[in-house]
Amino acid sequence: MKRFVIIATLLATVLILGACAQPTPEVVEKEVIVTQIVKETVIVEGTPQVVEKKVEVTKIIKEVVTATPVPKEPVVLRYADKAADLGTMDPHFAAATNDRNLVDMIFNALVRYKPGDGTQFEPDLAEEIPEPVIVDGKQVWTFNLRRGVMCHPSEQVPAYELTADDVVFSLKKSANPDTSAYAGDYNGMTVEKVDDYTVKITMEQPISPVLFLPKVADYAGGFIICQKPYEAMGAEEFKTHPVGTGPFMFDSYSPQEKVVLKANDNYFRGRPLLDAVEYRFMPELNSRELGLRSGELDVINGAAEGQWVRRMNQEDGIRVDVYGVGEVATIHFNLTVPPLDDVRVRKAIAYALDRDEFLALFGEPVAANVYSAVPAQFLPGGLTKKEVDELGLEYPLDLDKAKALLAEAGYPDGFSLEVVSSERESYLKNYQSMQAQLAKVGIDIKINTVDHSSMHKLIRQDVNPIVIYVAWRPNADVYLTRFYHSDSIVVTGAKPDTNFSHYTGIDDLIEQARVELDPDKQIELWKQAQIKLLEDMVSYPLQYQNQVTARRDYVDYGHELKSVLALYPQITENTRIVK
Amino acid sequence: MLKYLATRLALTIPTFLAVLTLVFFVVRVIPGDPATAALGDYASQEAVEALRERMGLNEPLYMQYFQFLGDLARGDLGKSMITGKEISGMVKQVLPYTLELTLSAIIVGALLGIPIGIHTARNSNTLVDYIGRITSLAGLSVPAFYLGILVMLLFAIKLKWFPAVGGGDLSDWKSNLSHLALPSLTLGLIMTASVTRLTRSAMLNVLNEDFIRTARAKGLSERVVVFRHALRAALVPIVSIIGIWAANLIADSVLTETVFARPGLGKMLVGAIMQRDYTALQSVMVIYTGFVVIINLLTDLVYSLVDPRITH
Repeated sequence: MKRFVIIATLLATVLILGACAQPTPEVVEKEVIVTQIVKETVIVEGTPQVVEKKVEVTKIIKEVVTATPVPKEPVVLRYADKAADLGTMDPHFAAATNDRNLVDMIFNALVRYKPGDGTQFEPDLAEEIPEPVIVDGKQVWTFNLRRGVMCHPSEQVPAYELTADDVVFSLKKSANPDTSAYAGDYNGMTVEKVDDYTVKITMEQPISPVLFLPKVADYAGGFIICQKPYEAMGAEEFKTHPVGTGPFMFDSYSPQEKVVLKANDNYFRGRPLLDAVEYRFMPELNSRELGLRSGELDVINGAAEGQWVRRMNQEDGIRVDVYGVGEVATIHFNLTVPPLDDVRVRKAIAYALDRDEFLALFGEPVAANVYSAVPAQFLPGGLTKKEVDELGLEYPLDLDKAKALLAEAGYPDGFSLEVVSSERESYLKNYQSMQAQLAKVGIDIKINTVDHSSMHKLIRQDVNPIVIYVAWRPNADVYLTRFYHSDSIVVTGAKPDTNFSHYTGIDDLIEQARVELDPDKQIELWKQAQIKLLEDMVSYPLQYQNQVTARRDYVDYGHELKSVLALYPQITENTRIVK
Repeated sequence: MLKYLATRLALTIPTFLAVLTLVFFVVRVIPGDPATAALGDYASQEAVEALRERMGLNEPLYMQYFQFLGDLARGDLGKSMITGKEISGMVKQVLPYTLELTLSAIIVGALLGIPIGIHTARNSNTLVDYIGRITSLAGLSVPAFYLGILVMLLFAIKLKWFPAVGGGDLSDWKSNLSHLALPSLTLGLIMTASVTRLTRSAMLNVLNEDFIRTARAKGLSERVVVFRHALRAALVPIVSIIGIWAANLIADSVLTETVFARPGLGKMLVGAIMQRDYTALQSVMVIYTGFVVIINLLTDLVYSLVDPRITH
């Protein structure tokens, strides 16, 4: 009996193993007929000419075959982001970095920032970037749409060709505060369909291309959604079942785990080289790092620390990319709170601070100093170090001068302030460094650390006399309007936003620049505005903090990485895995 | 017995109500709200206000509270304030991951902890006992997230035996088990430390009892004495600690699921807190409370099975 059991077990094991075994591959030779184009020289009227001719040739090729064909493994890029979960994939509400990354792969816009380079525009759904014309004092931009751009198929609506109706619907949705978080950017804009492939956009107030193009580019409200599926499924469903025209289309969403996007076979720029993208939610940096090192992940969102970048670059098979756009950290002083209402006190603080000490917290190449509210490295209209130096507005470290100014203002022994900070390192490190540096001139700062969302709420309630804010804005006008225009003053402004300093001194310059059509004059006006900000020491620009992602060295993004507005390395139809 | 069960179940209603009320108001006291968290800092105040209105956050608090209780009474967990997805559907997707993790950690903890505890008790004050005691003390002192990283470094990076992150595919047992190995080992090891210590001290007490001496005097083999007589008498505190740990493990899954990037209730809770997703947060807390109540009830019932002297 015992022997029978042993034999039966062995037999069963052999059978199971046999069933599970891979079929043995064989190499067979196969004849195939292929068409080739050959060049031939023929004599036409006594003159030799080279002509191309199609000929059919029989070729013998070797093919690996198995009794049961082994299915081809799909090429999937596994990306891990620091977010805990999805917010929304409706591009007009997508604000968190992970949501922006996802919509960037699913949707297109009339124009787009060149992949990997956020400083250049190129046509996307439009055939070309048009030149605006002035009609009855209004500015008209006419976009001719590409033919054959297909909306992704969805459960409710099969794939169909995108037309002007979709574009008009989408841009009107972006302008509606009930259906978009970016409605404010579309005030004074009218969108009309001219024919199925032509869209006319009229601006009540003419503006320069630098300010107009971001409104119709692949960022925030500029993304074009497909009207029919949106209407068929409704706004709520669309958040988790987005339908666009981009290189990747929605496949599945597993809460707290991942979103899977699959290749859009009908993408108008050609089928993506990847079969799918798995976008995973992994808030813990250590987990992302270990996942990358073990080869379970291909790309991860890294830590914005020079030390981390250097350490990861030493790992075999791992490369770290550091690229823009850099989010700018700025110290804003509340000009209505004593003693910060005295310009001498604000200047004293500026002289007591050392940009390089802040910079050392993040380390190169992750961060670099900035000298004006608008980062000159990424956007037109910013001031360079040389420019502020020549104007004497750099405020280099000078503790004696700082103490003298404080004494002159009536605070020889300094003073105390209380602030709230986010728990995020990009904020907390800067606050703590400022605290340590200002202690040298007798200014005592008490920091109350709260979670990030709470900080945003509290500083908008004007609780902080000094606010450190880290942000990216798509152009100089948005930076200056939202941080320094009187309408944007927190709590009390006409449209309360992020003017934490309560400053009112550059409204006219911002407004003049906004309607200036000559790019050079526009830049000059923006620079003047920022010179005034520095003269009045309304805010102290610190540094920009770059994006950091690490990847396995077999990942090729398909473009050079300089700056990406979507805050990730950008995965396009050209991204591939080269193993 | 049935009367006891009915009384215990009836007592869970005020417990649930107290927890729900506390959670409902505490999450709303924290500064920040779902609209601000969802739209980020780039959105205008106007857009944030419009979203608040749509989310129903401008309704009076008491109305929101009664609405929540009413929905819950109908068995409706509601929709996520952020993604708009049915929470019951989200829970259904992630709950199996938390349950399998908790269950497998209990198995690891019990299978390692009880034998080690018995062994160290039988060899008390020897080198084996000292090593066992020091190791279990160290196990109790190591936080789950730190042990998780160490386990990942050894088994996923160095030895490459198991995957480091993710939950695997529930429909593919191989993928599922391989992804479960390291998180359950992490939680199981922490539980082992506790079970070892308690088993050791319970066994030490019992092994010195008269009835054990009698059993030995009757000439019973040591295996029978230890496993049939001593262990049975020591089981009540061991069952207690396993019950306590079952509840603890569900809570510890918050850290473990985050470190191992596994889907689960714990990760859902963290996500809901970060996104200020009030409805999701409340629902997860309801489920956690339910688990704790059920585990406590089951533990009480198991007492009477392992010790006939205990009656309900």
